[in-house]
Amino acid sequence: MKVCRRSFLSLIIGGAAGTALSPLPLKLMDDSSIWSQAWPWTPVPEDGEVSHVGSICTLCPGGCGITVRKVNDRAIKIEGMKGHPVNNGGICVLGLSGLQLLYGPTRVKTPLKRVGARGEGRWEKISWDEAIAEVVKKLGGLREKGKSHTVACISGTDRGTVAQLLGRFLTVYGSPNFIRIPSIQDSYELTMHLMQGVQASAGFDVENADFVLSFGSGLIEGWGSPVRMIKANSKWKERGKVVQIESRLSNTAAKADKWVPINPGTEAALALAIANVIIQKSLYNADFVKNYSSGFEEFKQMVLNEFSPDDVSGITGVSASTIESLAKSFAGSSKPLAVCGRGQGETPGSLNEFMAVHTLNALVGNIDKKGGVWTVPDPDYIKWPEVEMDRIAANGMSKARIDGAGSKRYPDTRYLLDRLPNAINSGKEYPVEALFVAGANPVYTIPDSKAVKEAFNKVPFVVSFSSYMDETAVNSDLILPNHVFLERYEDVPTPVGLQKPIIGLSKPVVKPLFNTKHLGDVILLMAKAFGGQIAKAFPWDSYEVCLKETLGNKWDKLINDGFWADSNFRPAVWGGAFHTPSRKFEFVNKGKAESIKIEGDEKAYPLILMPYDSMRLASGFIGDPPFVIKTVEDTVLKGKEIVVEVNPKSARGFREGDQAILSTPKGSVKVRVHHFNGIMPGLVALPRGLGHTAYDEYLADKGVNFNELIGPVEDPVSGLNAAWGIRAKLTRA
Amino acid sequence: MKEQHKNTKAKKYGMVIDLDKCTGCGACMAACMAENNVPFKKDESNKLDSITWMRVYSLTNGKKFPEADMCYIPRPCMHCEAHNGHAPCVSVCPAVATDYNHETGIVSQIYTRCFGCRYCMAACPYHARYFNWWDPVWPDGMEKYLSPNVSPRMRGVVEKCSFCFHRYQLAMNKAYVEGRRELEEDEYQTSCTQACPAGAIIFGDLNNPGHAVNQIAKPDPKHGGRPMNPHAFRLLERLGTNPKVYYLSSREWVRRAGDNYIKDEGKQGNH
Amino acid sequence: MDSALIPEGVKRCSFGKFIFWIIVVGAVLLWGVFAMLLCWFKGLNQTNMNDAYGFAVWIWADLAVIALGGGAFFTGLLRYIFGKDELKNIINYAVLIGFICYSSALLILAIDIGQPLRGWFIFWHANVHSMLTEVAFCLSCYFAVLTIEYIPLILENRQVDKVPFFHNLSHNMHGIMAIFAATGAFLSFFHQGSLGGVAGVLFGRPFAYREGVFIWPWTFFLFTWSAAACGPCFTIFITWITEKITRKKLVKKNVIMLLAKIAGWMLATYTIAKIIDTWYWAAVTVPSKGFTLMDFYSNNPLYGIWILVLEIVICGVVPSIILITKKGRESSFLLISAVFLGALGACVNRWVMVLQVMAVPVMTFESWPMYFPSWQEIATTILPVAYGIILIMISYRYLPIFPQEREIEQIG
Repeated sequence: MKVCRRSFLSLIIGGAAGTALSPLPLKLMDDSSIWSQAWPWTPVPEDGEVSHVGSICTLCPGGCGITVRKVNDRAIKIEGMKGHPVNNGGICVLGLSGLQLLYGPTRVKTPLKRVGARGEGRWEKISWDEAIAEVVKKLGGLREKGKSHTVACISGTDRGTVAQLLGRFLTVYGSPNFIRIPSIQDSYELTMHLMQGVQASAGFDVENADFVLSFGSGLIEGWGSPVRMIKANSKWKERGKVVQIESRLSNTAAKADKWVPINPGTEAALALAIANVIIQKSLYNADFVKNYSSGFEEFKQMVLNEFSPDDVSGITGVSASTIESLAKSFAGSSKPLAVCGRGQGETPGSLNEFMAVHTLNALVGNIDKKGGVWTVPDPDYIKWPEVEMDRIAANGMSKARIDGAGSKRYPDTRYLLDRLPNAINSGKEYPVEALFVAGANPVYTIPDSKAVKEAFNKVPFVVSFSSYMDETAVNSDLILPNHVFLERYEDVPTPVGLQKPIIGLSKPVVKPLFNTKHLGDVILLMAKAFGGQIAKAFPWDSYEVCLKETLGNKWDKLINDGFWADSNFRPAVWGGAFHTPSRKFEFVNKGKAESIKIEGDEKAYPLILMPYDSMRLASGFIGDPPFVIKTVEDTVLKGKEIVVEVNPKSARGFREGDQAILSTPKGSVKVRVHHFNGIMPGLVALPRGLGHTAYDEYLADKGVNFNELIGPVEDPVSGLNAAWGIRAKLTRA
Repeated sequence: MKEQHKNTKAKKYGMVIDLDKCTGCGACMAACMAENNVPFKKDESNKLDSITWMRVYSLTNGKKFPEADMCYIPRPCMHCEAHNGHAPCVSVCPAVATDYNHETGIVSQIYTRCFGCRYCMAACPYHARYFNWWDPVWPDGMEKYLSPNVSPRMRGVVEKCSFCFHRYQLAMNKAYVEGRRELEEDEYQTSCTQACPAGAIIFGDLNNPGHAVNQIAKPDPKHGGRPMNPHAFRLLERLGTNPKVYYLSSREWVRRAGDNYIKDEGKQGNH
Repeated sequence: MDSALIPEGVKRCSFGKFIFWIIVVGAVLLWGVFAMLLCWFKGLNQTNMNDAYGFAVWIWADLAVIALGGGAFFTGLLRYIFGKDELKNIINYAVLIGFICYSSALLILAIDIGQPLRGWFIFWHANVHSMLTEVAFCLSCYFAVLTIEYIPLILENRQVDKVPFFHNLSHNMHGIMAIFAATGAFLSFFHQGSLGGVAGVLFGRPFAYREGVFIWPWTFFLFTWSAAACGPCFTIFITWITEKITRKKLVKKNVIMLLAKIAGWMLATYTIAKIIDTWYWAAVTVPSKGFTLMDFYSNNPLYGIWILVLEIVICGVVPSIILITKKGRESSFLLISAVFLGALGACVNRWVMVLQVMAVPVMTFESWPMYFPSWQEIATTILPVAYGIILIMISYRYLPIFPQEREIEQIG
């Protein structure tokens, strides 16, 4: 048959028509839509057996109980543990996002040894044996040369078995330089020490307080144990009053019953003026003052002479009538409570301010009373035998601490990390030859980032135990990655600010995902490698054995419930509460209550830069996981640019959203301007917790780290960092 | 489902959010994302393309320092009943991909049915609906935490808060196995309600006088569910959306911010 | 070269020139196709739309082209139902423009949806309450009608007509065209209306919401009416442009005058209705939701009261007056200005009813989100324009679109 053009065309057209009329197009349409409903690149989570594991979250010192939902061996969701004494089912935004840290891309998956230049990010994977041998070789060499004291260790905490093992290791090794990350804990401990003669933490019976006078504390923004504080705030909404004294309308101020704006840095003066009114009007607790305190007369004279409401009104910007009414409502309440420590309490602050505020608590006699400030001893379950130091260790331990804590100048202060960079850079003390960092990210969190980096570069050997590739890990020589909190056992003693001693137990929710090792085990392995007295100080086969032995009969309860609370604990009674030489509460006045002078010249820098904290910005050693950074508002972060708050009055031509250069004596950064009527004119507020350079692409290079713009200011009494701000200016970008 | 529920009274699940207690901490947002497999991108600072079923807005009273005041307002899907279930979004969806469930009062979203016309988004005055402009991508390994109870969405479809409907289903399944037809109040709670550290979110059946939501909001069935509690209000009630999320505030300016009023119009905030 | 295909008795430019322009416009078309493929394969993240602008320039383009394509149904209605026989001389072109507009609308809709592969769910899982369902059904049906109306035109091509089957088919189709025109008019009434309903039913959006009768908000009727008014304006305008480009008269003046007069009265009555609607909306509907008129036209960088003045006065009142007065129509300049303004008015109205609806903040703590389309959106919106030009070029060259052309040419 001859195929002509016509029949060919007919065939094509007929075929097309036939196909079109057949069910084929319908079938294809249907198939394609089904395909679009299950695209192979959209994950389909596997179903399986559901189980729940109780544990403790250690992403912050809040110590919340968590319940982790699992499907087979996958952790699916973290929820607050119902019935836990700290958080009772509630949970914060960071805790909820914990699985993004566990499964996230920032994990350090195996021991790493630096091959490129410091901070360059080129690493070689090594085995655990090699890693430990490397550390032991380095430390051994230093010890041989009698330089064991040149080893320093920065730790996120000094409590619990892991931190204690670390400290113990340092002691038997022969270094006095165990340094805890600073916070208002330091100032509160010192206040308790000086005024009550105790070595204890301050606990706050916030649940029972009915009038809370807060000197700038971010009560609902991460101060203390965050979830617990937010819960307490809800209680206050039902029965209680909160007065927030702060120069910026923080969330706490906005939620408070009364917001008292104050010139920043003058809080101590205000506290003493309130004391003035309380004393003058005889509103104080006469029993407490007369029978359980000492130095009252001297204190009274001082406040009456120097802190009249009228005078203080001029300093603080708070009217005399407001001061009087604050004093009256405070002293007139049945369970008043005064607290301080700015924002989340990451900067220790002025000791005078702490003591002035604590004085208010003393005046109304709510020390160790319902709704007041309690003396909380550390749970005393860690009872290991005293270490036996060899000669080298004893020699090393006899050396002065490099940070100056416990020195003649600062005899009562225990740790002064903020002084470390300067001590290293100035070279006045001995050099630091090796530095351990555990549970901390000092390169990010210590003020004056430039000086910190410089100091780090001067330390020849830096070891990070971080689970994540944070700024400190990036700038170290060796990373010995710890399990993350969901993969390990760890005891968690009393959360910060809690009024009763409790112990929580972090449990492995999932098996370790990577080639990581528990820090406790790493310490034991290092000790064993050293042998001698060092090995002898660590008689346990593994960390788990150590933990079980240490916790003794509490172990079973901890495994079952996740926490252990001392049911016999009662607050001390005034008669025996104070261990000062007078056995009474001391109205101490170390120095005058002058405000801490901040850095910078007023003429060159007309504005004052202050940081602010938010629950949605983790500013400690953990950075924001993707979920948390997603919750950050666009008035805080826009694209990669950080947004600063300025009162429209001091915006000087900068319109909403304008770009600007924010400069302080420490540095200059690019920012965007946000007009905020809740901030006092003359101030600029910058959020803390941004400006990470490490971690993953969801967090890195977003915004600015506040610590690049500020340096520490030493408190004259404690030596702790008391900088509450720094002079600044905004110029055109 | 309808058959099985014959003997049970229709529920009207709703929420009461206490804005005096809400601290703006953001836990509800993360709780929702973690529960519902909500994806995330490298940059989420453009809030116009950031999927947040539960979004916490902040409002200010517009006054100058030091009279300035501020309040946070968490905004889930309002699960509008409107008139007889004709929620703004439900009535416009051309493919019945979103529906009003008369048994629970929950507005559903069927991802595999939705073809992404976004008419529902245009209809929703609360911006409670979000479009998947991108394929959801989890960094390598992170897909391990995805929950099998909620299917991850594909690019090109709309998603929104479901009042954690999968939890309702799981609770009902459990109840059936135990031979019950009714749920206790605490058996079905949303993820955000559970997580809220402030206890500011309360969830339950608005029709059930035994449930806290009913007791607090006191919805008036004669007036389209308007709250009888003078401190309670709903967002944009005047539009006739009849939302099932109630807010509480002791501050009048906050209550007034819930709806639009012409200057000097009826000063009381909850009408 | 292609002279055998060109209708008898008319002059066309050289084949080379024709191809040259086809290539030029074709390049623009390809650019649009590229953007379209990007949107299909990479998703709608290629656009600048966001969760505040779920509807944006595409939906506007859709609504606008359908309004402008309204010339087809309305001219058909006038010719076949009301017996305005003169209009047979422009109906072909009106149908062609309508065909282009509607096929473009369907194409844009297919790009605009997030899951194009499931687009047919709108028919399969139809929700009868949704205006969009009504739009989809009527639009598709009317597009089928337009295709049927366009086919006889193709069949009239000199070569095709030689085939006896096609010749007879064409003849028979012409015979029953009145039925299709009537069906088309009916369908058009509904989908033009339902497009108006799309915005008008949004009771969550006080800027768009309108009361109405039964299930139909006032915008339902206003959209139909404005399409009937502005569609013919657009037909006249495109005819004028075609005449300018081809440098010859294609339609006799009396035909244009008749269509212009009808369009003028439609536009005038529409404008009056629109003014009443706006007044009622501003005075009654909007305040009942807690808004004042000026809330919608202030505190933002773009939408001022000017847009309302532009839509109603400049593009409504002014062209109406020109078109209903004999003097106005007779002046070529005024006529063309008026039909241009009339067509523009429909576009502005559609813009406002889509984009301003999205822009107006409803919750008190929101601000105006602003939007500018991405190049992909612009390219895909220009794509139908290029496609339309090409289709007109081909149709004009090979089909007897203008029945009077030969006659005018012989006179000329």
